[in-house]
Amino acid sequence: MEKMARVTTALGGNTITGRTMFCHLDAPANAISVCRDAAQVVVAGRNIFKIYSIEEDQFVEKLNLRVGRKPSLNFSCADVVWHQMDENLLATAATNGVVVTWNLGKPSRNKQDQLFTEHKRTVNKVCFHPTEVYMLLSGSQDGYMKCFDLRKKDSVSTFSGQSESVRDVQFSIRDYFTFAATFENGNVQLWDIRRPDRYERMFTAHNGPVFCCDWHPEDRGWLATGGRDKMVKVWDMNTTRAKEIYCVQTIASVARVKWRPECKHHIATCSMMVDHNIYVWDVRRPFIPSAMFEEHKDVTTGIVWRHLHDPYFLLSGSKDSTLYQHIFKDASQPIDRANPEGLCYSLYGDLAFAAKESLISSDSNRKPYIGDRRHPIFFKRKLDPTEQFEYISSSSALSVFETDVESGSMDWFVHTAKQYALAGRPLAELCDHNAKVAKGLDRNQVAQTWTMLRIIYSSLGTVSSANLNHSIGKGSTTLPLMNSFNLKDIPSGLGSESRLDRSKGESRTENILMDSSSTLINNEDNEETEGSDVPADYLLGDVEGDEDDLYMMDHENPHAEEQEYSLPQEAFPLRHEIVDNPSALDHLQDKADSPHVSGNEAETVSLTPVESFSLISISHSLYENRLPSDFFNPIVRDTLLFYAEQGDVQTAVSVLIVLGDRIRKEIDEQTQEHWYTSYIDLLQRFQLWNISNEVIKLSTCRAINCLNQASTTLHINCSNCKRPMSNRGWICDRCRQCASMCAVCHHVVKGLFVWCQGCSHGGHLQHIMKWLETSSHCPAGCGHLCEYT
Amino acid sequence: MFVARSIAADHRDLIHDVSFDFHGRRMATCSSDQSVKVWDKSENGDWHCTASWKTHSGSVWRVTWAHPEFGQVLASCSFDRTAAVWEEIVGESNDKLRGQSHWVKRTTLVDSRTSVTDVKFAPKHIGLMLATCSADGVVRIYEAPDVMNLSQWSLQHEISCKLSCSCISWNPSSSRAHSPMIAVGSDDNSPNILAKVQIYEYSENTRKYAKAEALMTVTDPVHDIAFAPNLGRSFHILAVATKDVRIFTLKPLRKELTSSGGLTKFEIHIAAQFDNHNSQVWRVSWNITGTVLASSGDDGCVRLWKANYMDNWKCTGILKGNGSPVNGSSQQGIFNASLGSANTSLQNSLNGSSAGRYFFPPLDSPRAGSRWSSHAQLLPPPPLIEHSCDADTANLLYPHPRRRCVSRPLNLLPENEGV
Repeated sequence: MEKMARVTTALGGNTITGRTMFCHLDAPANAISVCRDAAQVVVAGRNIFKIYSIEEDQFVEKLNLRVGRKPSLNFSCADVVWHQMDENLLATAATNGVVVTWNLGKPSRNKQDQLFTEHKRTVNKVCFHPTEVYMLLSGSQDGYMKCFDLRKKDSVSTFSGQSESVRDVQFSIRDYFTFAATFENGNVQLWDIRRPDRYERMFTAHNGPVFCCDWHPEDRGWLATGGRDKMVKVWDMNTTRAKEIYCVQTIASVARVKWRPECKHHIATCSMMVDHNIYVWDVRRPFIPSAMFEEHKDVTTGIVWRHLHDPYFLLSGSKDSTLYQHIFKDASQPIDRANPEGLCYSLYGDLAFAAKESLISSDSNRKPYIGDRRHPIFFKRKLDPTEQFEYISSSSALSVFETDVESGSMDWFVHTAKQYALAGRPLAELCDHNAKVAKGLDRNQVAQTWTMLRIIYSSLGTVSSANLNHSIGKGSTTLPLMNSFNLKDIPSGLGSESRLDRSKGESRTENILMDSSSTLINNEDNEETEGSDVPADYLLGDVEGDEDDLYMMDHENPHAEEQEYSLPQEAFPLRHEIVDNPSALDHLQDKADSPHVSGNEAETVSLTPVESFSLISISHSLYENRLPSDFFNPIVRDTLLFYAEQGDVQTAVSVLIVLGDRIRKEIDEQTQEHWYTSYIDLLQRFQLWNISNEVIKLSTCRAINCLNQASTTLHINCSNCKRPMSNRGWICDRCRQCASMCAVCHHVVKGLFVWCQGCSHGGHLQHIMKWLETSSHCPAGCGHLCEYT
Repeated sequence: MFVARSIAADHRDLIHDVSFDFHGRRMATCSSDQSVKVWDKSENGDWHCTASWKTHSGSVWRVTWAHPEFGQVLASCSFDRTAAVWEEIVGESNDKLRGQSHWVKRTTLVDSRTSVTDVKFAPKHIGLMLATCSADGVVRIYEAPDVMNLSQWSLQHEISCKLSCSCISWNPSSSRAHSPMIAVGSDDNSPNILAKVQIYEYSENTRKYAKAEALMTVTDPVHDIAFAPNLGRSFHILAVATKDVRIFTLKPLRKELTSSGGLTKFEIHIAAQFDNHNSQVWRVSWNITGTVLASSGDDGCVRLWKANYMDNWKCTGILKGNGSPVNGSSQQGIFNASLGSANTSLQNSLNGSSAGRYFFPPLDSPRAGSRWSSHAQLLPPPPLIEHSCDADTANLLYPHPRRRCVSRPLNLLPENEGV
């Protein structure tokens, strides 16, 4: 309670001060009413009837009106009202149908004044006339309203609604003779107090019971009604037909409505069940309450503004047996917590942005930044006009910022996915192709990566197969082999590397390497210029070792990593190599038939002597000797990890697939699976189903591979007899004919078969597409109007 | 280059959320006017409202799409204390309504006693699950055991966060190494020094969500929170919208071999912190690769953030949102075009200089620069943009987060920052 502010309001003469405070009642309250001078409040309920004075810091119990030993149902109040002209006069509606008036001026302990036992069932509401001292109105569950003159023993007149129970009655503030009554069947009736025979006007206000109504205090002929349909409606009664001018949708059935003093468009509501909060709405902004009091722990049963002309103090009683005084400064304001903006990045890099118009249109009247947005805007004597304006014009502008086609930020992804070759060709060719694709999309780094991979993993193989060819005397195959790898497109890598090799030490293998690649250089001399310095830079610059700390890291890596792969190689050199490269063999076998298998063997044979522990561990001799591709695995692995961390999982997965088993062992299974699932998810987002399927097929992870092996069942009909095909083949059980004949070319369809679900006829996809371009009828002549979409 | 396409949303109150579907072809908006609208992109790029219906009896705070594998499914949450799941019905009657699709409510989740402030579908690989959070500080996780039956949701977990929750985000990682994780932001603005971002992780052992981390440095109300799409990363990136934009990286530390709890410990590092919005930041959203973050704040601007290869985040563009709606349903104009090169250079630096870390770091920037200039000529003559392409990276290192990155306004905005 410390944080609660103290508020003082001067009201021409008497001042109201106070803060948010509460007191415990002995029993749940059903209704509360406040005295004219705003200093006292009466709380009534089934087991309580007390008057509290509202002090500055607390409620003080002044009077208990439930006196006497014997509990009487007359004390069990459904409603209470304090006369606004006579501060000694109170009236209660009892659950047994009795209307009781109380005179506080009585000297005795029992203040009960008069007892009207005319209603047969619970009285839901009592209401004093706003200007006439002795006139009291009651509305009851029995469907009658009665008007009492307090100077008489009986009711003056009885009004029959001719419909269901009366839930609320309220004297009009503008018209002396008029009162409104609301009914459980959703109707509102207007009566003239002088004409008890018939209502003046009736209209259906709500769907379901109308629990409450309230006339606007500023004499406008506005009537607010609240119903079980969770709505608060404001009716303009000035016209001949009641016109709905505002409708507020709340979240629970509306039990009470009370216009806020001095604020033309504000109305306070509380609910009958579920919702314990009190809301204050601006009826012009009907969707979101402008203030909310959340103190009560159970249903709020009575709300009343403390003073007729003060908009900042609200009293409430509740089923949780508390009486609260709320002040607006402490209200929570859902509007301020509401998010005024929406923002979303689309798949293609478009940005959808919705923002409150006032935020984006006029920067001039932008409020300066304040740390806490919950500033007490309600604590002002008059709401300033701009603020009111803001309430009305609260709407958002929605726009989509589209990236244009050329620089569309995700186009590269789609193009790359479509154009990359991942399998079915020799490794070198794949790398070259992919490098070209990347280059074509201005992704030079990725292109270079592919080129490097080609050098690392493929040139070696090529060379050693050449080596083998030399050694076993089939020299003639060298050149055709090179051509098949399409070396024209390798810009530089091989050349520069061989240059490097040339400049450094010699060994038997290196010589042969030089031989073979120099023939290449002769062929490709002119194409070697562009960009060739780049990898060369890297490789040569490393000799100094200081320039690039990353390189230094690479230096250290081998020391750390070499144990992992060179030791086993020492132990089982041959077997390791064979196990390590099976997919490479497959790839090669796919395309060419001749000596590659043996070529790989030769590679191992020729390399094993070179690759020894001692050689690798001497960093200076790193590049002086031809290294096995395994040597680069840690670097390649780091490259892939780097791409993945950078959000380019495409490159990581593509390289992973292309390199296959060469790199697979370097990366743990879980990471690979993660990459695959991420990439497949991305491809599916872009609706690249075929590519995603290819990736699934090519992946070596078991978890991924089985993704597209989930069962799919198609139910088809035989095209001849139109009966469902039951067995698994394409031969119909009944007519013993093949059901998969193309209706256009009359051949059996193998592969993609498209058929009409209406007439079961179909055929080759291309044929059917072509046919239906020109004709709308089924090609089988069955007369069905087929459609291909 | 961005082209602003203004859409006459025709919501009668504030729009609180915009959400694209999985394939980026549909968009859903929700508003305080208690309705949700669905927009479909036509061939020529226009957005057409294909459905608009009243979803709740209070402000609708958030709307979100489920993975299309589960159908065309939306979830919404509202001030009316409920969350709801909606499914689009395809049927004959649609034709009569001329291109309007029909959405039916599949379920209403009524467990919350206060306003439901956020709702998010779990990443697909976990299953058909839905997380909600509410103003009373409870995160609820529902599961539809049968994905074909969207009307049956069972409340699986209730996590009490102690603080009024405003936003949640699932960790999207599909890796088996990362167990399901939810980050929760709180907009509680009482002056306590509790962490306003909490991270809960599912523990296989206890079959419960337990608090794995709390970002102690975030003490101001948090309005939005978003994990970056995790495309094969070993760590997680979390963006937080509070009084400034913050980007955290969470590196899972190697799990100890002890079986106690089994919760992952994270090495949390604040990668960036920007107060360029100079006001409350309301929304953060990642691009699909998790490399560009967009944020929007009370200044009415959208700002784009991007890390260079050194992991220094900087502003790469500002989009002024004052496309005050023009008459007509969707008018296109380049009145707000911005960041011609920023975008290409983003891509460049992603795919280019990233690799440079290993191969050729110094060579990339001149290329990007030259390409930039050729693009810059394509910009419309009076672009109302601020440009930051050549912002000096050296000045953008983390120790100077307060420095404004935007260095080259091509055309000054009426409002300017120092004010």
